[in-house]
Amino acid sequence: MVNSVEMRGIVKKFGTLAANNNVDFSAGKGEVHALVGENGAGKTTLMNILYGVIAPDEGSIQIDDRKVHIGNPAVAIGLGIGMVHQHFKLVPSLSVAENIVLGSEPGSRGFFDRLAAMRQVAELADRFALAIDPMATVQDLPVGLQQRVEILKMLYREAKILILDEPTAVLTPQETEELFRTVRNLTSDGKTVIFITHKLNEVMKVSDRVSVMRAGRMVATLNTSEISAAQLAEKMVGRSVLFQVQKQPSEPKEVLLEVKDLRVMSNRGLEAVRGVSLQVRAGEIVGLAGVQGNGQDELVEVLAGLRRSTAGDVLLRGSSSKDFNPRQVREAGVAYIPSDRIKVGLSLDAAIWENMLLGYHATREFNRGGLLDVGKATSFARELISRFDIRGAQVGAPVKSLSGGNQQKVVLAREFSHGRRVIIADQPSRGVDIGAIEFIHKQLVAMRDRGCGVFLISADLDEIFSLSDRILVIFHGEIMGELAARDATVEEVGRLMAGVNRRGGDVIG
Amino acid sequence: MARSRAQLSDIGESRVAWAGHLRHLAMGILKPSAAVGLALLIGAGVIWAMGEDPIFAYQTLFNGAFKGAGNFVATLQYTTPLLFTGLAVSFAFRAGVANIGVEGQMLFGALAAGIVGYTISAPHFLHVALAMIAAAVAGAVWAFIPAILRARLGVNELVVCLMLNPIALLLTGYFSSYPLKAPGPTNKTYDILASAQLQQFTNSAQLNTGFILALVLLAVFWVIENRTGKGYEWKLVGQNPLFARYGGIGVQKSIIGAFLVSGMVAGLAGAEQVLGVYRAFYNGFSPGYGFDGIAVAMLAKNSPIGVAFAALLLGALNSGGIVMQMMTSVTRDLVKMLEAVIILLLAADFAITSFKARRKVAKAGTAGKSIGGGQA
Repeated sequence: MVNSVEMRGIVKKFGTLAANNNVDFSAGKGEVHALVGENGAGKTTLMNILYGVIAPDEGSIQIDDRKVHIGNPAVAIGLGIGMVHQHFKLVPSLSVAENIVLGSEPGSRGFFDRLAAMRQVAELADRFALAIDPMATVQDLPVGLQQRVEILKMLYREAKILILDEPTAVLTPQETEELFRTVRNLTSDGKTVIFITHKLNEVMKVSDRVSVMRAGRMVATLNTSEISAAQLAEKMVGRSVLFQVQKQPSEPKEVLLEVKDLRVMSNRGLEAVRGVSLQVRAGEIVGLAGVQGNGQDELVEVLAGLRRSTAGDVLLRGSSSKDFNPRQVREAGVAYIPSDRIKVGLSLDAAIWENMLLGYHATREFNRGGLLDVGKATSFARELISRFDIRGAQVGAPVKSLSGGNQQKVVLAREFSHGRRVIIADQPSRGVDIGAIEFIHKQLVAMRDRGCGVFLISADLDEIFSLSDRILVIFHGEIMGELAARDATVEEVGRLMAGVNRRGGDVIG
Repeated sequence: MARSRAQLSDIGESRVAWAGHLRHLAMGILKPSAAVGLALLIGAGVIWAMGEDPIFAYQTLFNGAFKGAGNFVATLQYTTPLLFTGLAVSFAFRAGVANIGVEGQMLFGALAAGIVGYTISAPHFLHVALAMIAAAVAGAVWAFIPAILRARLGVNELVVCLMLNPIALLLTGYFSSYPLKAPGPTNKTYDILASAQLQQFTNSAQLNTGFILALVLLAVFWVIENRTGKGYEWKLVGQNPLFARYGGIGVQKSIIGAFLVSGMVAGLAGAEQVLGVYRAFYNGFSPGYGFDGIAVAMLAKNSPIGVAFAALLLGALNSGGIVMQMMTSVTRDLVKMLEAVIILLLAADFAITSFKARRKVAKAGTAGKSIGGGQA
């Protein structure tokens, strides 16, 4: 097969983090090539390098067997590379045709030939069987059609290689089907489509070949027909055990957290959690495994009081906490470690003591008649700093002066104080160094041994396997199965993550 | 061995943290000072281009602001309204609320104080207090419009405030020109009663006890911002609303509360002018104290202590500028230009810093994801 794209030895570092670490990638002419991996695996970085948005530190790129240097997107477009970003880059108030020709408008002597633009766009749409009204205003179009405008924009510039960055993330299932049809039309026309995604069923459905990235490295490139979704899931989340946390068998006691047939809508108005039921008992760690975007975020946000459910119930120690706000959830004894410490878990500009005080600032311990006991709050923070071994921390310094691992320890220190019984840990060790991961894992086990119920959500199978006493697997908003951690295998969890149930039947819709 | 290395790196890290902390503090003072210095330099170039001696012009400006008791009192008189409006704006900014409608809130406060000042009679202290309360409430009511629109519907408060300012000017102008107009050639309300007047310190200037009130208010707000649970909540909502919400703070309530408090302070700015300086509500009395308050807040980096110094600086420029205009051919417009340059420099710095921060977040963002359903 002729390779239309060939990238060799690509290295890109952001500070000390290698977003791309010696990555090789190639896509053949006329193929749909899926590029998969978890968030932060380096897919988007790699494609931004191909599109000239980011300059690589090392490595070479060949387009149609010719070595090229892509300094900026204009060069990429000149080489026939087009990229459709997750967030569309369209002018909402202009018409479809105006958006498509924008930048290379037909016309003469500085005058824009609107009729010619309409005609050209209509012809183009016809040729690729992408039905669209050239005169419609973009802001009136549904998302699926806006994406179609983006694709037509690339085709108008005669792109031969189309990069689609998580194109289905914003689409309804019907729109997704339409998109897949379009993709197949394009490849039969000789175009190359690179399809970035982390949804495995889409990979299986639409791609000819698939490349898997993990933690900045290219793990494998395979023919889609020769791999199962379960194997793919396993490759994506990896298994590179670095250490094993020492822990005794669990002794589960009373139920602390119970979720009953919960249904939750996503921001897009689709049902993201579809009837989930689960229990977390005192003295056990329950791990929720799953590929990202299968309803974990929405589930956790409901548990934390940040989102409303549409049906079902959440019980904390037997009493309903439905529609609690975050303060009520806290007061009911729930500790919550959000997955994004920078945006949600911390205020980077605020002092360390202020970050540690959040949620307790209105309690009698630190607040007398509205006046804050700053002395007590700072000595409390000092105590936590030494107890959680937060390196280089001065109570009055802003949290942003700490490293990622130590920032996460600030979150942990705050959430694990004041005798909370239920712990919801969402990706607790994401983006921190190995030392901090070990510390965080030990703390979670210690909290379990002290009688807390821990609900761990993680896309990292290592973390799930090394911490959990029971493992639940979520796929497409439903719990696919429950396994006891000691006799679960990675293969089995991988199968469930890909939506294949125990009996081997395929439940992909 | 490993232990001692860890300790060493500990010391290193804490040094870095402290150095960063100190640098942060130093920058807080340095940057505004640099902006003022640079503005004066540019102003000197303009004065020189006009064929005047920049050093002499600045000398007269400085002497006009500070030399002699009379000049200094005049400077403090110019400073007083800026203490109020600067505090109102900086308090709002710190809470993440861009209240640039202080001018309009101040006008309604002034009108309310003027009305209470002549319609009721009461003993001195009570009368002043009632007029002040009326002014604070009126300012808060006018601030409630952008507050509720922002908190409930997510409407950008900058736009709403900008549009409400001229409406406030025209509405208060209408009331003082027609239904509430006192007989006579000027568009003003009736003079307030003596019992509602704020005591002036000297016979020759209008500096009054409102100045003391402003200083007390600054101290009170320092305590509110740094030593109360509410101040803590306002600050966190201003810094990171998602974090505040996660911690159980009601973000919408916090935004509305901050707007109302800011509007109250703006209303008091109007009360000081009516009860202490003009002794009646005059149509269009304000040369834009509410807008100058924005400059003060930016110079002050949103701290009450900073507001005191920044207001004094702008007050001195304005009062010294009058003297400079009398003694040289350089007009007071130079002062307006200096103010504009200072704001431009500070705004440019702010834009650059926030741009850098956004790039940083964008880079770090690869390791994180956003939480959905955030409010306001």
